[in-house]
Amino acid sequence: MGTSNIYAGLEIGTSKVCLVVGEARSDGALRILGVGQQPSSGVRKGEVVDSETVQACLHEALVRAEERSDVEINTVFLSVSGAHIEGLNTRGAIRIADGEIGPEDLDEVKRKCRDVKVPPDNGFIHSIIQHYYVDGQDKIVNPVGMLGQKLEADYHIIHGIKTRIQNSIKCVREVPLEVEDIVFAPVASAQVVLDQEAKNRGAVLLDIGGGTTDYICFVDGAVVASGSVGVGGDHITNDIALVLKVPLARAEKLKVTYGSAWLEDINPNEKVPIAGEGSETVERLLICQIINARLNELLTLINNSLAFDNILGKTAGGVYLTGGSSLLTGLDDLVSSTFELPVCRTGYTSMSGPTALFENPQYATPVGLIRYAQLLNEQRPRAGAISKIGRKFEKLFGASR
Amino acid sequence: MIEYSQSQNSDTSGGVDISFKVIGVGGSGANVLDRLALEGSDDAQLLVLNTDIRKLSSSVSSQKVQLGATLLKGMGTGGDPDLGKQAAIEASDDIREAIRGYDMVFVCVGLGGGTGSGAAPEVCRIAREEGVFLVAFTTLPFEFEGARRMEQARDSLNEIEGYANAVITFDNDRMGELIVPKDGVTQAFAAADKIISQSIRATMNIVSKPGIIRIGMDDLLTALNSTNSRCLFGYGQAKGDNRALDAVDQTLKCPLLDNGRLLNDAKNVLIQVSGSDSMTLLEVQTVMKEMTGHLKSDAHVLFGTGTDPRLGSSLAVTVISSLDGEEAQSGVSAVEKEEVPVSAPEAIEPSPLAAAVTAAAAAAAGEASGIIASEGQEDFEEEFEEEVPAVAEESNIVPMAQPTEPEPVIEEAPQIHIEPVPAASVEQDLAASVIQPQVPVAQPSPDFEVPAAMSNPIASAVQEAASPGQDPAPVVQPAPAPPQPLVQPRPLVQPDPHHEAPGVAAPAAEAPERVEAETDQSQTIALSRIVPGQTTQRILNRPPKEEVQQTAEKVTSMPSTEEQIEQQDILQLEPVQSKGRFAKGDPTIVDGEDLDVPTFLRKKG
Repeated sequence: MGTSNIYAGLEIGTSKVCLVVGEARSDGALRILGVGQQPSSGVRKGEVVDSETVQACLHEALVRAEERSDVEINTVFLSVSGAHIEGLNTRGAIRIADGEIGPEDLDEVKRKCRDVKVPPDNGFIHSIIQHYYVDGQDKIVNPVGMLGQKLEADYHIIHGIKTRIQNSIKCVREVPLEVEDIVFAPVASAQVVLDQEAKNRGAVLLDIGGGTTDYICFVDGAVVASGSVGVGGDHITNDIALVLKVPLARAEKLKVTYGSAWLEDINPNEKVPIAGEGSETVERLLICQIINARLNELLTLINNSLAFDNILGKTAGGVYLTGGSSLLTGLDDLVSSTFELPVCRTGYTSMSGPTALFENPQYATPVGLIRYAQLLNEQRPRAGAISKIGRKFEKLFGASR
Repeated sequence: MIEYSQSQNSDTSGGVDISFKVIGVGGSGANVLDRLALEGSDDAQLLVLNTDIRKLSSSVSSQKVQLGATLLKGMGTGGDPDLGKQAAIEASDDIREAIRGYDMVFVCVGLGGGTGSGAAPEVCRIAREEGVFLVAFTTLPFEFEGARRMEQARDSLNEIEGYANAVITFDNDRMGELIVPKDGVTQAFAAADKIISQSIRATMNIVSKPGIIRIGMDDLLTALNSTNSRCLFGYGQAKGDNRALDAVDQTLKCPLLDNGRLLNDAKNVLIQVSGSDSMTLLEVQTVMKEMTGHLKSDAHVLFGTGTDPRLGSSLAVTVISSLDGEEAQSGVSAVEKEEVPVSAPEAIEPSPLAAAVTAAAAAAAGEASGIIASEGQEDFEEEFEEEVPAVAEESNIVPMAQPTEPEPVIEEAPQIHIEPVPAASVEQDLAASVIQPQVPVAQPSPDFEVPAAMSNPIASAVQEAASPGQDPAPVVQPAPAPPQPLVQPRPLVQPDPHHEAPGVAAPAAEAPERVEAETDQSQTIALSRIVPGQTTQRILNRPPKEEVQQTAEKVTSMPSTEEQIEQQDILQLEPVQSKGRFAKGDPTIVDGEDLDVPTFLRKKG
């Protein structure tokens, strides 16, 4: 890509491989140039399990994206997901030698923060700055130039199993496409789904995808929690197929057509045909109960993992839903009752191009990747050319506040 | 040791009046001493013992003793430990002379060769007889040096463990792989020497330098005491504004700590922070915060801080701990190595008798010491809540013996290792009998002890406890009780008989004081003895692995789902595959629930 400001975001999801090409304008707006999409196979719960099949899908998507955008794609930003990815908060402290905080002190304190114990197989994906503290004065956004004796920093560190992430990268490189950076999927989605105001007020982003449900939580404009659960829309389909003894394709159809996550509006006497018109029928309530049980469990799980430091009490912005499975009927009611927070769905801001396509929450992540790349570029005007895994993006969030 | 304890008591004000001697035995020991001399160690006298005159003359140490001057005529032992032993015996007078009067002796030896493996146990024995506090730093040979040398090394190590107050064992193989995996043998050995010399220095500093929060020998013992075959040692020193964190970083980089990962398994960890007067409380806090982050939450941290003007603007962090044999081991050598810790308490077993007996005797002799003894008992009861009541109630001693045997595997071990010990206690008896007129009550008990120790140590202890009790009935009544717990819990009491020997030979007027000191010591040791006991329990009660639990849960969840499906009354053509399309992949298990199984089915069940 060199110095151009056209970026490509690639999401290898459980249900689809999606490559979005976008142009970042100098005014901060995004223009989507083209999209290549292909139903994926060889991906399970957000992780590549069959490299060759994935590459075939990826190649298809690449060809389409290049055709539509009329751009030759060499490097991409890749989103990663999977239940192995976890977030943790850490604080580091250093003493300032000369009394004035310089940029090198920020690096130093970050190094301290990153010196945290993660499982030996895991590598850092992101180290995101939350706040700095200078001599105990809290919530300082940019301490460079300030006077102080002691600099502390809170970081949110997202880490995952190195080899699994490397496998995704390897798979993309063999297409061949160079991976400019990896981004944890909800971090990318948050760039477009949440605006700055939502981040400042505090918000939870739930990305309910096919194989995984990723979440990220902002309080006071900073990331305080993130993670991924290996359960998504495919599980719902699978549940229906197993309980009703129908093929997966039929289960998917039942889920989309009759499924609802909220039981109160369902007429208990309503019957729906299992296998098309005229066939055996089943109570619609049963289908919805299956879906409700699954989603209820999933949401409770996430709610529990956010139940520390009263962070849910500080998320006045509410819960933002995205991801393909968030289209399910009645999900808003269920989420709102589980988290006891309002549920929001917003369109994307500052975007032009064939936008109609991107109103669909399925595309939040790849579009978010473009935005991420754009912000990154603003941060480090010339640094984008070097691709390196685990690069340092902490300033991204500090600066975008 | 007794003298040491006294001096320790007297120097709480911070004076440095402990005298150290560092003895290097054999070629590798000499190398360590050379390293120590190079880096400057004004606290300690260095003594090199070697059979090979050329090696000896090239050493820079201040004092040298040639072993086996007539036996070997200045040649080496050619790798024969028997020759090494003979040579040491031949020079034993010189060695004794060189050690006499020192409070603390470090013996550094590279085991496996003739001089090291053969002479070191003799040197340790002599040092013990001289009543010093003895810490042995031993290195086990590289694996490529051959099985024979390894065997010699282990035999020798077993003997040394019988004599030394603490043994710190460095495994050359591990050092090699941690430090310089690709480099040659020379570098690996040099690195090993450096670590050992650092370790010695740090140990000396810890016990000799005045401390604000002082760490004593008892803390060091606790830190090092586990059924250990692996010592964790880390030392870091840094200057500058961020010296606290830098020192911690350096400490953790020490190869024996493996970036702090190994600390995670340690139960007792000694951490000392030292610096000059410029050291701030904040720095100490920072260091401790960083360090404890690497420890288990329930780890026992023995913390100390001291000032050392010589550090100047630097801050030094020392970490000493040890891993249980089991945690430290991996691979083939595990079985071999486990013998070491197991045999150690066994070998020591007879010696608690002596201590118990002397305690009982002392209780009879001195009125004040009766109080001491009962204090000791209280302590034991606190420490051994589980074990002691059983012991106290039943006069049947068999269950008592069990806790002292961590594993039944090495039943031969006690016989082998007991051998040197009775010999030592015979000496003690001889020494004690000299004093016979002065301490009539104490006299009979050591006499009985020797045969008793051979057959049934614990029963004999009870006899001992009873026998002094016959004479001064009212005073001693409480006394027999303490020996019972005493006998069983102490692995490290071994030193005591040897201490007793010179102790008794000295003027008898000091006897009560001595006993007091010794009681302190035995309390300390009782503390440390807990560790093996816990270890055994932990091993027995080791929780099943996660996988097992998971599968168990799966098993329980499967039948219920089957029932569910029967209730659904829907076609059942094949065995229910309750995970459907996710059957082949990794299960997603959260809180013991297999999330791949439909929630609907799980919750209904």
